[in-house]
Amino acid sequence: MKWKANTKTALTGYAFILPTFVFLIWFMYYPVYQALSGAFTDWDGFNAPRFIGFDNFTRLFSDEVLGQSTVHALIWVAFSILLAVIPPFVVSELIFHVRSARKQYLYRTMFVIPIVIPGIVTILLWRFLYQGDGAINQLLELVGLKSWTHLWLGDPNIALYSIIFMGFPWISAFNLLIFYSGLQNISKEVIEAAKLDGATGWKRVFLLDIPLSLPQFRLIIILTLVGSLQNIIPPLVMTNGGPGYSTYVPILHMYNVSTVNGEFGYGMSIALIMFIVILAFTILNMRLVKSDI
Amino acid sequence: MNQMKFKSKMLPILLVAFTIAATGCGNSNSNENSGAAGNGGKTDNTSTNGTESTSTKAWTGTINMYAQAYTPNAKNITGIKSDQHQLRTIADEYEKLHPGIKINFVDEEFKDYTQTVRVKAAAGELFDVFWAQWMDLNGTLPKGIAEDLTEYFNKPNPYIADKATWQEAMNTTVVSETASPDGKHYNINGDYVATAFFYNKELFQQAGIAEAPKTWAELIDACKKLQAAGIVAMSQAPDFGWFQRHFLTDFYSKDFDTISQFDKAPGISSLDEVVAISKGMLDTKDPRFMGWWPIFKQLTDNWKPDYLTGDPGVVGGNARNDFLAGKTAIFYDGSWLPNNAKDAGIKFELGSFNFPTLSAADTPMTTGVDASGAVGGPNAAFQFAVATKEADKSMKEAGKKEAVIDWLQYLGTAQHVEQVVNENGTFVPHWPDTKPNDSMKDLASQSTKELKAIMVGNSSPNLGKDLQRTFGLYLSGNTSLEKATTAVQKALDAAVKEYKTKNDTDLSQY
Repeated sequence: MKWKANTKTALTGYAFILPTFVFLIWFMYYPVYQALSGAFTDWDGFNAPRFIGFDNFTRLFSDEVLGQSTVHALIWVAFSILLAVIPPFVVSELIFHVRSARKQYLYRTMFVIPIVIPGIVTILLWRFLYQGDGAINQLLELVGLKSWTHLWLGDPNIALYSIIFMGFPWISAFNLLIFYSGLQNISKEVIEAAKLDGATGWKRVFLLDIPLSLPQFRLIIILTLVGSLQNIIPPLVMTNGGPGYSTYVPILHMYNVSTVNGEFGYGMSIALIMFIVILAFTILNMRLVKSDI
Repeated sequence: MNQMKFKSKMLPILLVAFTIAATGCGNSNSNENSGAAGNGGKTDNTSTNGTESTSTKAWTGTINMYAQAYTPNAKNITGIKSDQHQLRTIADEYEKLHPGIKINFVDEEFKDYTQTVRVKAAAGELFDVFWAQWMDLNGTLPKGIAEDLTEYFNKPNPYIADKATWQEAMNTTVVSETASPDGKHYNINGDYVATAFFYNKELFQQAGIAEAPKTWAELIDACKKLQAAGIVAMSQAPDFGWFQRHFLTDFYSKDFDTISQFDKAPGISSLDEVVAISKGMLDTKDPRFMGWWPIFKQLTDNWKPDYLTGDPGVVGGNARNDFLAGKTAIFYDGSWLPNNAKDAGIKFELGSFNFPTLSAADTPMTTGVDASGAVGGPNAAFQFAVATKEADKSMKEAGKKEAVIDWLQYLGTAQHVEQVVNENGTFVPHWPDTKPNDSMKDLASQSTKELKAIMVGNSSPNLGKDLQRTFGLYLSGNTSLEKATTAVQKALDAAVKEYKTKNDTDLSQY
């Protein structure tokens, strides 16, 4: 009888969460399954897919554009991590050391307010700034640095870096708040003890704040790494991968071969490889975060 | 208590049933006769010439149509006149003749239309009647998204009394040369577009240029004079797909018949293109194929370099705005530009001149053919196709396909083509028994000429885009002609390989 009652209770519970699971499977896992199985087909997105085994993967490993894109993605990831970590940490340190709590609040708010501007607006704004007759070149000419002016998005040697470095002064509000909360969590006793031991100024930053903020550093590094591999909007909107293929990244290649060229099967094989890479980083992220927080 | 017991037993079952029902709803589109548009009513349809079109008896509902530049009363599509009413008027007349059928025009802006069609078709949600050009239907878009209209072309159109077949009412040159490699027709083609260099007359005067250039040398000279006067001569993304047609059509004019006959059908199909590439004709081994790049660079060396490496789709709007704002003197565009200029309220007088005919003094590769019309042609906006039931699930409704084709037949008469095309004013109606607007008479004469344009880019979806990227790098000085030639050959080889694999074609038989 008790077994029956327990089963009934359990079934009732499962029934309550069943709709969620059905929709989760329908809308989240089924598309992933479709994408995974589609990687082994030649599919134009409309007619019935044709199974072609590992042909897409053979092509993938000999695809020069994808190779070039992967190098760009690695450069992108490396610089993105530096920009995601250093400026927000420096600013969070500065705010944290402001004595007045009200002023701390004011500065925090000032850095967080720009978050309301949609990302696409920022990207379009920077596209204008980077134009040949845009504000950056005008400013350089104004201060007598005409030789520094460039076609920021038209020169294949610098276009990738122009996109990576847009968004000056690179203070991500989200990262700033994570670092700031990490600094707030350092106990006053530890800070006082460090002061007595002579750890003030830069010494305190390097010997106390950074080591005790490592969980925040790890979290931001992994999130940035995953995010920058998935970030298609800046290269798509600003250059569509050009000049030539100089700003092409794997996610843009996947998008273009699928939706523009109609090679959805090949696009899915790129997506599958990216999925494996991103999954590996996600597992790494989960392990690192789990061990420290 | 018993009631409570019943509830606790039934609850899981009810929830499961709810879930199944809810998820099942998402699949209702796949049901035949799912009546999103139709109501199953009956109408008595009699055409204007008294012929009863029995096919539409069983179906009533809404026909969705995307009419691109001819969209009536458009509020959301940039570059289209909002006071266009003719297509709506014709639709209203049709609705009166066919009670129960409504024609709805899609008023939406599509950034990348080919992509939109592809995605909508994949979802089974394509418009019932959609704008699509013959080259896209024959090659770029997936096979099977548009109905084959050939049998309807060969039958009488119930709304045209004096023609034995619908095709007789159309431009026969266009019909024969826009057929797919297997001789099928996927759209009705009613208008013609031209491209030209448009220029700012005031800026020309400021630079001391009295007349529009007529030769290649004069065009280069005009750009230099403009530059010397501190005026930006040109600034736009050099559209490879367009400019290659001017040069290759000229250089290869004597080979057109050879290239176009590989598939034994009129016009150059993607198969013709692939065979010509594999035989080394449309290939870098032939000096003519890359020979026009340095000639064209003479022109672009006088352009503002900002957009040279840009994707025409990404920077095209900015470049056009620069011209309309009077920042640049010359802009190469389609015959829709005067309308754009009018909408933008430009303060200068607009002029235009054709792409010059090359002479032996410009290049020994020229055949002296006038290739100014090579970019334009029957590729404008009165190009309508009917979605298949696979691309548009609502077409599974019994009788809907016949009703949609009946609407297309009603629209596809000389009188209606003329009404719609001339109201817009940017294109030319090219069917017999149609007359263009007075301002378009010169262009109208081109529409009776044979289409002998030569280009590459149709054999693989990525080929044109790949060549555009290399072209931009070369013109901007970021790569040499030698390196560009290697990159182009690699792209051509990849396209041939891809075509052979996808179409299972043995090219050695040609």
